[in-house]
Amino acid sequence: MNDPLIQIKNISKTFEGGKLALDNVSLSVSQGGFITIIGPSGCGKTTLLRTINRMTDFDSGSMKIMDKEIALWDRPLLRRNIGYVIQNAGLFPHLTVRENIQFVMSISGMDKELREVRTLELAAMIEFNKAQLDEYPDNLSGGQQQRVGIARALTMKPQIVIMDEPLGSLDNITRRKLQAELKQIHADSGTTMLMVTHDLKEAFSLGTEVVIMNNGKILQKDKPEVILKQPADEWIREFVSAF
Amino acid sequence: MKMLVLNSFEDLFETVFERRVYLFELLVQHFVLSLTAVILIVVIGVGIGISLLRYRGIRQVVLGIVNFLYTIPSIAMFGLFIPLVGIGFVNALVVLVIYGLLPMIRSTYTGLSEVNPHLIDAAKGMGATPSQVFFRVRWPLGFPTILSGFRTMVVMTIALAGLASFIGAGGLGQAIYRGINTNNSNLILAGSISVALLALVTDIIIGFFEKLIRNKKFRASRYRRIILSAALFLLFIPVLLIVFNRERVKDSRTDVIVVATKPTSEQYILGEIISRLIESNTKLQVKRVFGIGGGTSNIHPGMLSGEIDIYPEYTGTAWLFVLKKKKISDPDSLFTSLQRMYNEEYGLTWVARFGFNNTYTLVLPEATAERDDIESISDLSSKSKQFTFGAEFDFFEREDGFHGLSELYSLKFNTLVELDINLKFNALENKTVDVINAFSTDSRIKQMNLRTLRDNKNYFSVYQAGIVVRQKTLEKYPELKKVLEKAGNTINDSTMTMLNYQVEILNKSPEEVAEAFLKSKGIIKQP
Repeated sequence: MNDPLIQIKNISKTFEGGKLALDNVSLSVSQGGFITIIGPSGCGKTTLLRTINRMTDFDSGSMKIMDKEIALWDRPLLRRNIGYVIQNAGLFPHLTVRENIQFVMSISGMDKELREVRTLELAAMIEFNKAQLDEYPDNLSGGQQQRVGIARALTMKPQIVIMDEPLGSLDNITRRKLQAELKQIHADSGTTMLMVTHDLKEAFSLGTEVVIMNNGKILQKDKPEVILKQPADEWIREFVSAF
Repeated sequence: MKMLVLNSFEDLFETVFERRVYLFELLVQHFVLSLTAVILIVVIGVGIGISLLRYRGIRQVVLGIVNFLYTIPSIAMFGLFIPLVGIGFVNALVVLVIYGLLPMIRSTYTGLSEVNPHLIDAAKGMGATPSQVFFRVRWPLGFPTILSGFRTMVVMTIALAGLASFIGAGGLGQAIYRGINTNNSNLILAGSISVALLALVTDIIIGFFEKLIRNKKFRASRYRRIILSAALFLLFIPVLLIVFNRERVKDSRTDVIVVATKPTSEQYILGEIISRLIESNTKLQVKRVFGIGGGTSNIHPGMLSGEIDIYPEYTGTAWLFVLKKKKISDPDSLFTSLQRMYNEEYGLTWVARFGFNNTYTLVLPEATAERDDIESISDLSSKSKQFTFGAEFDFFEREDGFHGLSELYSLKFNTLVELDINLKFNALENKTVDVINAFSTDSRIKQMNLRTLRDNKNYFSVYQAGIVVRQKTLEKYPELKKVLEKAGNTINDSTMTMLNYQVEILNKSPEEVAEAFLKSKGIIKQP
């Protein structure tokens, strides 16, 4: 089990219109880590995240997910095995909290009783009672919505969860609370997490490792305290100085 | 058009009650036509709407075409399809579907394409397959928009189906149309209110289902699917009935004679006389497609294509308008030539003439005519100096109108007054004018006790009503000829005026007027 869960080698991606989003990026993520990816807007962090569940295809380079070439993964199957959390939770407004949480299980054709058992486990985790499971997302606060979003990503007990600025639109207090909860969930579940954020504090307090990106390149990947002590270059020193 | 007299509600209810069988039949036709159209529109429109989502490149082209079709006036559209699909149900269906497509395609495309892209992204990112993304996220989220487009489309279709009677497809519009053509305001009201009610009730029912679907408790209910399926099934019962019914008609189709008429009271009466004659003397069934909009220009092609077997026509119209020949003054030689030319050119036979001549004539109050001893237009000429003459603009302008008439008969009226065609009888009544032009079988001649002057110099073209039948129909059912000939020479000018009077002024139905007439002549037996 020492093989890295995600192995990215020299991938590049140019978008239509010629913008170079990823420039020869390599990254390896081993099991159990909480990787936070940070950098200025347009640095390629979201694109990098989306190559992992094949929402975006890279042009060159190679990637292995759970020891399998990414191109060999069936897209839906790969995605069902990777939890996905997006900004503003992205809950389906026509489905109840329960149906939202069960979405992946339902499209995977999981047995109804198993679904319900798992839903109750997750509800307990995010401290939702049974009545709340029948609510529609519109009736929930932003923080509650994102809790459901996180629970929804964990339904299949995935080995990997990727999160694209999951707490980006929440107020500060809620945000701090959810950060703590996320840390707890990570510790309890042992799931490998990758999170894109633009909040330095979040990146350094949550990440077991922090990835710093700029202009489509990974500039440094290290434990947070190492980056703070030994920034790889002047730009990084400048960038993290706000912390 | 004649002046409409708004009657009391009691009158209206009486009309509705008396004609309840007729109105109910029309309501069923209307419902069936609208429902069939709606189902087709949903299938085609939603299908196209979804494909536009996939092939965005063709979107502008498709929406452009649909938009263009939408701008064609509906009456023109009905006419446009006559050469392709003939008259009747299919024609109406095609037109309704074409009009309904725009709102359906639009709302489907808009509803589906405007679903928040983040949600689509979320669904994909969680591993939904393309069809799961569509059915679990895109469709349910776009559905409210689609449903509101659907609602608009349904109400529009029901309203538009009111025009279907124009091309012989029946429906409640027939009551309106017939009411207009026979000066029966109660019938117009009954038809209009029924269409409005049908549209309203349907809208309310759809609205109810819309609310039900959105209701969270209902959505959570396990009976949801059962209730919706049951509702859908109920909706389809009429469709099944119709399919069954149409099959039945098809089976016996060989024995059905289609009788058509133009949209005038006189034609309704003649059509009814023809139909009753056939029904009571043969084993054939009659399908009545009365009041075809556009008259001869739409019926004649139907005769040629075999969709219509029989219709009443005027010799002058056939000669001058259909064959486009020069005027022949003598009625009998006109009829002989017409019979020959119709046989040779169209394979149509003029079986008989009813006997009356519905052409232009001059009319004046009986009292004046009596006082001055005027019977023919020639009698009028010496006295014309003391009279004021009124006619519509058209009569003064047309080639066979006033100019030639006054020259031939040397008429020198005191004053000439140009009047609206609807008001000239009123003008005569209040003595603004003394003499007007009129059609010789106009019901108001009888109502106002007017005298029609004999055209002793045969100035006006002859418009004798006769029965035109397809030769093929006559060959197939040889018994028809003898039956139809029974109507020959049974109606003179004043009888026809009298029959028109009963329909237009006394508001009797053409059916009862025709029946009473045939019985009084002993052509059909008393029950």
